Amino acid sequence: MTTPAIDTAALTRRFGDFTAVQDVNLRVDAGQFFGFLGPNGAGKSTTIKMLTGLLAPTSGTIRILGEDLKQNSAELKRQIGVVPEGMALFGRLTAEEYLRFVGRMYGLDRATTIQRTQELLEFMQLADERKKLITDFSHGMQKKLAMAAAVIHGPRVLFLDEPFEGVDAVAAGTLKAMLQRMIARGATVFLTSHVLEIVERLCTHVAIIHRGQLVAQGSLEELRAGQANADGASPSGGKQRSLEEIFLEIVGTDREGNPAATAPEQELSWLS
Amino acid sequence: MAELEAGKSPSASAQDIPVSAQLLAVAWLRWRIFINSTFRRRTTGTRQAAGLALVILVRIIVWPFLAMMVIGPVGGSGFFAWMAIAENHPQRLAPLLAAITLLWLFVSVNGQNVAAVVSNFDPSSLTRFPLRFGRYLVLRTLIGVLTPSTIVGCLALLAAAVGIGVAKPALALPALVVLAIYALMNIFLMRMIGAWLERWLVNRRFREIFGALMALTVVGFQFLNFQRAPSHGLGGRNSWVLNILHSSGSQLRWLPPGFAANAILHASHPVAAVAQLTGLLANTALFAAVFAIRLRKQFLGEYLSEGASQRANERSSQRNPARTQQAGAVAKSASTENARPAFPPIVAACLRKEWLTLRGNGMQLIGMLTPLFFVVILNRSVFQEHSTYLLPGAIAYVLFGVLAGLYNIFGADGLGVQVYLLTPVRLRDVIVAKNLMSLAVIVAEAGMAWVLVSMLARTPISFATQVSTGLWTIFVIGANLALGTMRSIQAPRRFVPGQTQRRRSTPTNRTSGLLIMLVLFGSMALQFPVTLLCRYFDNPWLGAWIFGPLAFAAVAAYALLLHNADRFILAHRDVFAEELCKT
Repeated sequence: MTTPAIDTAALTRRFGDFTAVQDVNLRVDAGQFFGFLGPNGAGKSTTIKMLTGLLAPTSGTIRILGEDLKQNSAELKRQIGVVPEGMALFGRLTAEEYLRFVGRMYGLDRATTIQRTQELLEFMQLADERKKLITDFSHGMQKKLAMAAAVIHGPRVLFLDEPFEGVDAVAAGTLKAMLQRMIARGATVFLTSHVLEIVERLCTHVAIIHRGQLVAQGSLEELRAGQANADGASPSGGKQRSLEEIFLEIVGTDREGNPAATAPEQELSWLS
Repeated sequence: MAELEAGKSPSASAQDIPVSAQLLAVAWLRWRIFINSTFRRRTTGTRQAAGLALVILVRIIVWPFLAMMVIGPVGGSGFFAWMAIAENHPQRLAPLLAAITLLWLFVSVNGQNVAAVVSNFDPSSLTRFPLRFGRYLVLRTLIGVLTPSTIVGCLALLAAAVGIGVAKPALALPALVVLAIYALMNIFLMRMIGAWLERWLVNRRFREIFGALMALTVVGFQFLNFQRAPSHGLGGRNSWVLNILHSSGSQLRWLPPGFAANAILHASHPVAAVAQLTGLLANTALFAAVFAIRLRKQFLGEYLSEGASQRANERSSQRNPARTQQAGAVAKSASTENARPAFPPIVAACLRKEWLTLRGNGMQLIGMLTPLFFVVILNRSVFQEHSTYLLPGAIAYVLFGVLAGLYNIFGADGLGVQVYLLTPVRLRDVIVAKNLMSLAVIVAEAGMAWVLVSMLARTPISFATQVSTGLWTIFVIGANLALGTMRSIQAPRRFVPGQTQRRRSTPTNRTSGLLIMLVLFGSMALQFPVTLLCRYFDNPWLGAWIFGPLAFAAVAAYALLLHNADRFILAHRDVFAEELCKT
């Protein structure tokens, strides 16, 4: 059995009385393109922050590439790349200056940093904006830069929080191509997204979090066949469905299993 | 992209990242942020040249003042240290060191605002990089070294060491060593205070309490100064500052300033000097440890936000039907209120929104009350014998703070300003609502100041002075409302109330900022020559004759602006989108 790229056990995070993430057991194998889905406020960003060491879990363990994140945080941070929720850019720098800073912080030597900076700027089509400050970049340009910063050190595991949000189709195509090339070379990509079509097209495996708890996990085929449950077990049987149908079926219910959304015709009758 | 192959990067194969590489990277980052913030401009061509010329002009005016603010305390520290040793008053050394620490703290607290605006750098964001805690601690400590507070504090201590050395050359070397350790102690003390304040200031209630305490401290110092030394300067022989210097020496004995002073003074007795130095080092270690505890929590992934608990509260209220019913009752009563509106619906809705925003901002409310304390102080000090100037002086002082807010009425709305542009409302109504709320605050403050002055004045204020001041007040408010509204439309600037970080200003903003200062000061200062004219011609009603027409003209100008507000805003939609709506 191979060492999973990401492995969590009973991962829990509480904020006072509020439990944002509860007993999450995730397993992402190396080389997987993994989609982490959930409605707004389900606990996706909290989970990704814990997985990248930006937020301490209240309880539970996280193992990245077989190593305990708490014990080996510095070593593991060199193996992972992150596009965090707020992108964590320094607005008063140019893109080139920012990438050079990030490269040096990851321990790349000067020559490699400069070379990779140039390559990434060209690849992300930011090379023509050398004199522009990041604060003056559009949202999409900032996203591309954050992605470039996340991969400059050649991470083995890449965490992306809503990477395609606000990115135009051309740029999204560029990013997707880059991610697929990374997967082909053995990296693992863990992404959260609200756009189910993107997840369905890119990801091989998916987990769904709802109200802080993992409610489904498995390969896309297993989910389509209605086979994957929260623990990743795969019973056989069931008809093939789209990811959107699966997602709505799982998160569209309240805690007692009743449909959460009220039938449209029962409410907002004043709408024309 | 060939090299970006997973798992085969040079960084992955290296045993450890050299500490110097990461230190240099952070130093370089800070340097680039400083350079870009200082010299890079968004605009090009003629506007860039004009902006640059204006920046240079402002710096020529401002920098000498800043230099004086540094040179003053530094020179003073050297002189006082020399005087303490040369005039054989060694007990004054500890209070002097304590004063330098207080100065350090003062610059540190106030400098954070400047640093936040200039650098836009959150050092806690470094936790995402591969750092061990020890290195993170070193980085965080070093990042804070090149701040205005550290520079001023270290220079003051260096000056004190020089002063001691000049007064008694045998103490030069011990003073230099001990004060270097004292500087280190101060660095850790300030970092510790800063880090814990940052933690506590996340809580809105604490922010408000802290704001009130700061305001109270400032007011208290002013009050104490006027009360204790109404006729003596700080340097006078009977100055309360000198009295404190004399009496505090023994109380500081067990505190770092006492340890440092005694370590220097007992340099000729090695055992005593080492004992004092140990006390100083122990304090330094203590402050470093408390700072490290805070940083460690941050490093391990602490979450500082009120959002989570608020969300929990929201959820509990959703599950509580009693609350929902209550909310329904409130909504019902609100709809009943709307049946007989005092204002048109749009104005009423905007007014309510402005009121809720004001009510939720405790810091702003505290900031509004502070000037009233100063009015009391002014009444007991400088204007004590000049009741003619007392009323206009007090009103001018109170108005100065609140009128500045009229020049950016959309700034706090940020992205929300789009609602005004997208909904079918007359933008004039929105402006009227915002100005009505501002006017209510201004009138309430000016009214309270007026009542306070009337109660506290030693000699009655003449009716003519009151009428003149009233008309002048209308003129000042009217003129600033008109110009403020115009500027709010022409050059809005996004900001978050209670937060220090702001968006970078454009040359247009800076130019109009200078004009605002001119208008604000000009309209306020007009009172002074008019009062002099009244005295020269011995005609107390002259002020009313001058300010009457001016007040009428200002109100008319404001009415004219309101009449054209919709057209004016639509013409400036691009500016709104650029400055307020950009994400």
